[in-house]
Amino acid sequence: MNLLRFGHDAYGAQVVNGASWDLLPVAFWAGVAVIVGHLIYRALRRGAADKDRG
Amino acid sequence: MANESQKVLRHAGVDRLFHWITAVTMALLLATSLLPLLGVRFAWYAVHWVAGLVLTVIILLHMVRALFWQKPGSMLLISAADFSPHRAGKYTLPQKLMHLAWALAVLVAIVTGLLLLRKAGVPFLERDPYARTLAAWGVITLLHDLAALLSVFLVLVHVYFGILPEKRAYLRAMVTGFITRAELKPEHDLEKVERGD
Repeated sequence: MNLLRFGHDAYGAQVVNGASWDLLPVAFWAGVAVIVGHLIYRALRRGAADKDRG
Repeated sequence: MANESQKVLRHAGVDRLFHWITAVTMALLLATSLLPLLGVRFAWYAVHWVAGLVLTVIILLHMVRALFWQKPGSMLLISAADFSPHRAGKYTLPQKLMHLAWALAVLVAIVTGLLLLRKAGVPFLERDPYARTLAAWGVITLLHDLAALLSVFLVLVHVYFGILPEKRAYLRAMVTGFITRAELKPEHDLEKVERGD
Protein backbone atom coordinates (compact mmCIF):
# COMPACT_ATOMS: atom_id res chain seq x y z
CA MET A 1 0.00 0.00 0.00
CA ASN A 2 1.34 3.43 -0.94
CA LEU A 3 0.93 6.50 1.26
CA LEU A 4 1.68 9.08 -1.45
CA ARG A 5 1.21 9.63 -5.20
CA PHE A 6 4.35 10.64 -7.04
CA GLY A 7 5.13 12.31 -10.36
CA HIS A 8 8.20 13.81 -12.00
CA ASP A 9 9.16 17.41 -12.70
CA ALA A 10 10.67 18.71 -15.97
CA TYR A 11 14.12 17.61 -14.79
CA GLY A 12 13.01 14.09 -14.02
CA ALA A 13 13.12 14.55 -10.25
CA GLN A 14 10.45 12.77 -8.27
CA VAL A 15 7.83 15.06 -6.69
CA VAL A 16 4.83 14.37 -4.46
CA ASN A 17 1.51 14.70 -6.31
CA GLY A 18 -0.80 14.03 -3.34
CA ALA A 19 -2.01 11.29 -1.02
CA SER A 20 -2.29 7.77 -2.38
CA TRP A 21 -5.87 6.72 -3.03
CA ASP A 22 -4.96 3.42 -1.38
CA LEU A 23 -5.77 5.40 1.78
CA LEU A 24 -9.44 5.84 0.84
CA PRO A 25 -10.48 2.35 2.02
CA VAL A 26 -8.30 2.90 5.12
CA ALA A 27 -10.29 6.05 6.01
CA PHE A 28 -13.56 4.20 5.37
CA TRP A 29 -12.66 1.11 7.41
CA ALA A 30 -11.21 3.25 10.22
CA GLY A 31 -14.65 4.86 10.51
CA VAL A 32 -16.33 1.45 10.47
CA ALA A 33 -13.88 0.25 13.16
CA VAL A 34 -14.81 3.15 15.46
CA ILE A 35 -18.50 2.38 14.95
CA VAL A 36 -18.09 -1.35 15.64
CA GLY A 37 -15.83 -0.60 18.63
CA HIS A 38 -18.44 1.75 20.09
CA LEU A 39 -21.26 -0.74 19.49
CA ILE A 40 -19.29 -3.40 21.41
CA TYR A 41 -18.49 -0.96 24.25
CA ARG A 42 -22.16 0.09 24.37
CA ALA A 43 -23.37 -3.52 24.52
CA LEU A 44 -20.87 -4.39 27.29
CA ARG A 45 -21.83 -1.30 29.31
CA ARG A 46 -25.53 -2.10 28.97
CA GLY A 47 -24.88 -5.70 29.97
CA ALA A 48 -23.00 -4.54 33.09
CA ALA A 49 -25.80 -2.08 33.95
CA ASP A 50 -28.45 -4.84 33.58
CA LYS A 51 -26.37 -7.13 35.83
CA ASP A 52 -26.10 -4.40 38.52
CA ARG A 53 -29.89 -3.99 38.50
CA GLY A 54 -30.20 -7.74 39.02
CA MET B 1 -37.97 24.42 39.75
CA ALA B 2 -38.16 24.04 36.00
CA ASN B 3 -40.27 21.26 34.52
CA GLU B 4 -38.23 18.31 33.18
CA SER B 5 -40.24 18.26 29.98
CA GLN B 6 -39.59 21.96 29.40
CA LYS B 7 -38.02 22.54 26.00
CA VAL B 8 -34.73 24.39 25.73
CA LEU B 9 -33.62 26.10 22.52
CA ARG B 10 -30.36 24.34 21.61
CA HIS B 11 -29.76 25.61 18.07
CA ALA B 12 -31.16 28.83 16.60
CA GLY B 13 -32.61 28.66 13.08
CA VAL B 14 -29.56 30.30 11.48
CA ASP B 15 -27.24 27.73 13.10
CA ARG B 16 -29.39 24.83 11.92
CA LEU B 17 -29.41 26.30 8.42
CA PHE B 18 -25.62 26.61 8.61
CA HIS B 19 -25.27 22.99 9.74
CA TRP B 20 -27.42 21.52 6.99
CA ILE B 21 -25.92 23.67 4.20
CA THR B 22 -22.50 22.52 5.42
CA ALA B 23 -23.71 18.90 5.35
CA VAL B 24 -25.06 19.19 1.78
CA THR B 25 -21.92 20.96 0.48
CA MET B 26 -19.64 18.41 2.20
CA ALA B 27 -21.66 15.57 0.63
CA LEU B 28 -21.34 17.23 -2.79
CA LEU B 29 -17.61 17.87 -2.31
CA LEU B 30 -16.90 14.29 -1.25
CA ALA B 31 -19.11 12.82 -4.00
CA THR B 32 -17.57 14.95 -6.75
CA SER B 33 -14.02 14.19 -5.62
CA LEU B 34 -14.28 10.53 -4.67
CA LEU B 35 -16.83 9.04 -7.11
CA PRO B 36 -14.50 9.60 -10.12
CA LEU B 37 -11.82 7.65 -8.19
CA LEU B 38 -14.30 4.79 -7.85
CA GLY B 39 -14.86 4.74 -11.63
CA VAL B 40 -17.98 6.95 -11.85
CA ARG B 41 -17.20 9.34 -14.70
CA PHE B 42 -18.91 12.74 -14.89
CA ALA B 43 -18.07 16.45 -15.17
CA TRP B 44 -17.29 16.86 -11.48
CA TYR B 45 -15.12 19.96 -11.39
CA ALA B 46 -17.77 22.71 -11.76
CA VAL B 47 -19.95 21.23 -9.01
CA HIS B 48 -16.86 20.78 -6.82
CA TRP B 49 -15.55 24.34 -6.96
CA VAL B 50 -19.03 25.91 -6.63
CA ALA B 51 -19.79 23.72 -3.57
CA GLY B 52 -16.34 24.61 -2.20
CA LEU B 53 -17.02 28.33 -2.49
CA VAL B 54 -20.46 27.94 -0.87
CA LEU B 55 -18.78 26.04 2.00
CA THR B 56 -16.14 28.79 2.31
CA VAL B 57 -18.79 31.53 2.62
CA ILE B 58 -20.85 29.49 5.09
CA ILE B 59 -17.82 28.72 7.29
CA LEU B 60 -16.80 32.40 7.30
CA LEU B 61 -20.34 33.41 8.35
CA HIS B 62 -20.31 30.70 11.04
CA MET B 63 -16.97 31.96 12.41
CA VAL B 64 -18.19 35.58 12.53
CA ARG B 65 -21.43 34.52 14.24
CA ALA B 66 -19.61 32.25 16.72
CA LEU B 67 -17.09 34.96 17.61
CA PHE B 68 -19.45 37.93 17.98
CA TRP B 69 -22.92 36.53 18.72
CA GLN B 70 -22.21 33.29 20.57
CA LYS B 71 -19.85 31.98 23.26
CA PRO B 72 -17.14 30.21 21.22
CA GLY B 73 -15.59 28.86 24.43
CA SER B 74 -18.65 26.63 25.00
CA MET B 75 -17.60 24.63 21.92
CA LEU B 76 -13.85 25.21 21.67
CA LEU B 77 -12.50 25.16 25.25
CA ILE B 78 -11.89 21.84 26.98
CA SER B 79 -11.80 21.98 30.80
CA ALA B 80 -11.55 19.51 33.69
CA ALA B 81 -15.36 19.62 34.04
CA ASP B 82 -15.64 18.01 30.59
CA PHE B 83 -14.18 14.81 32.04
CA SER B 84 -16.75 14.62 34.89
CA PRO B 85 -20.12 12.93 34.25
CA HIS B 86 -23.23 15.17 34.24
CA ARG B 87 -21.09 18.33 34.29
CA ALA B 88 -20.79 19.23 30.62
CA GLY B 89 -22.00 22.65 29.57
CA LYS B 90 -23.84 23.11 26.27
CA TYR B 91 -21.53 20.60 24.56
CA THR B 92 -20.05 17.33 25.87
CA LEU B 93 -16.39 16.42 25.42
CA PRO B 94 -17.05 14.06 22.45
CA GLN B 95 -19.12 16.83 20.78
CA LYS B 96 -16.26 19.32 21.27
CA LEU B 97 -13.72 16.83 19.89
CA MET B 98 -15.94 16.12 16.88
CA HIS B 99 -16.25 19.86 16.20
CA LEU B 100 -12.47 20.27 16.53
CA ALA B 101 -11.83 17.44 14.06
CA TRP B 102 -14.35 18.87 11.59
CA ALA B 103 -12.81 22.34 11.99
CA LEU B 104 -9.38 20.92 11.14
CA ALA B 105 -10.62 18.97 8.10
CA VAL B 106 -12.81 21.77 6.73
CA LEU B 107 -10.33 24.62 7.27
CA VAL B 108 -7.46 22.68 5.66
CA ALA B 109 -9.75 21.71 2.75
CA ILE B 110 -10.90 25.32 2.27
CA VAL B 111 -7.44 26.95 2.40
CA THR B 112 -5.84 24.36 0.11
CA GLY B 113 -8.92 24.31 -2.14
CA LEU B 114 -8.77 28.08 -2.61
CA LEU B 115 -5.06 27.81 -3.49
CA LEU B 116 -5.79 25.00 -5.97
CA LEU B 117 -8.34 27.19 -7.81
CA ARG B 118 -5.30 28.99 -9.27
CA LYS B 119 -3.90 25.73 -10.63
CA ALA B 120 -7.15 24.46 -12.15
CA GLY B 121 -8.80 27.78 -13.06
CA VAL B 122 -12.34 29.04 -12.56
CA PRO B 123 -14.35 31.63 -14.55
CA PHE B 124 -13.18 34.52 -12.33
CA LEU B 125 -9.55 33.38 -11.91
CA GLU B 126 -7.34 32.49 -14.86
CA ARG B 127 -5.67 29.08 -14.72
CA ASP B 128 -1.97 29.32 -13.97
CA PRO B 129 -0.36 25.97 -13.12
CA TYR B 130 3.05 27.69 -13.19
CA ALA B 131 2.19 30.03 -10.31
CA ARG B 132 3.94 27.54 -7.98
CA THR B 133 6.46 24.77 -8.36
CA LEU B 134 5.27 21.20 -8.90
CA ALA B 135 6.56 20.32 -5.43
CA ALA B 136 4.51 23.14 -3.87
CA TRP B 137 1.35 22.09 -5.74
CA GLY B 138 2.08 18.53 -4.58
CA VAL B 139 2.17 19.53 -0.91
CA ILE B 140 -1.02 21.62 -1.26
CA THR B 141 -2.78 18.72 -3.02
CA LEU B 142 -1.51 16.29 -0.38
CA LEU B 143 -3.07 18.41 2.40
CA HIS B 144 -6.32 18.72 0.39
CA ASP B 145 -6.40 14.93 -0.06
CA LEU B 146 -5.72 14.29 3.64
CA ALA B 147 -8.58 16.66 4.56
CA ALA B 148 -10.86 14.66 2.24
CA LEU B 149 -9.76 11.35 3.78
CA LEU B 150 -10.31 12.71 7.30
CA SER B 151 -13.77 13.90 6.17
CA VAL B 152 -14.69 10.40 4.96
CA PHE B 153 -13.82 9.06 8.43
CA LEU B 154 -15.68 11.89 10.20
CA VAL B 155 -18.85 11.55 8.08
CA LEU B 156 -19.18 7.90 9.10
CA VAL B 157 -18.59 8.57 12.81
CA HIS B 158 -20.71 11.76 12.88
CA VAL B 159 -23.71 10.14 11.16
CA TYR B 160 -23.42 7.04 13.39
CA PHE B 161 -23.55 9.08 16.61
CA GLY B 162 -26.31 11.24 15.15
CA ILE B 163 -28.63 8.29 14.58
CA LEU B 164 -27.87 6.30 17.76
CA PRO B 165 -31.18 6.04 19.70
CA GLU B 166 -29.72 7.50 22.93
CA LYS B 167 -28.23 10.46 21.03
CA ARG B 168 -31.19 11.12 18.77
CA ALA B 169 -32.41 14.07 20.87
CA TYR B 170 -29.35 15.97 19.63
CA LEU B 171 -30.27 15.17 16.02
CA ARG B 172 -33.86 16.29 16.66
CA ALA B 173 -32.49 19.52 18.15
CA MET B 174 -30.52 20.07 14.94
CA VAL B 175 -33.81 19.76 13.00
CA THR B 176 -36.35 21.49 15.26
CA GLY B 177 -33.97 23.55 17.40
CA PHE B 178 -35.29 22.20 20.71
CA ILE B 179 -34.31 19.61 23.31
CA THR B 180 -35.95 18.91 26.69
CA ARG B 181 -34.30 19.43 30.07
CA ALA B 182 -34.83 15.70 30.79
CA GLU B 183 -32.86 14.81 27.65
CA LEU B 184 -30.01 17.13 28.64
CA LYS B 185 -29.84 16.06 32.29
CA PRO B 186 -27.86 12.77 31.95
CA GLU B 187 -24.80 14.49 30.52
CA HIS B 188 -25.17 18.24 31.02
CA ASP B 189 -25.12 20.67 33.92
CA LEU B 190 -28.40 22.50 33.29
CA GLU B 191 -27.23 25.69 35.00
CA LYS B 192 -24.26 25.87 32.64
CA VAL B 193 -26.54 25.18 29.66
CA GLU B 194 -28.84 28.01 30.74
CA ARG B 195 -25.84 30.37 30.96
CA GLY B 196 -24.80 29.24 27.47
CA ASP B 197 -21.42 27.91 28.73
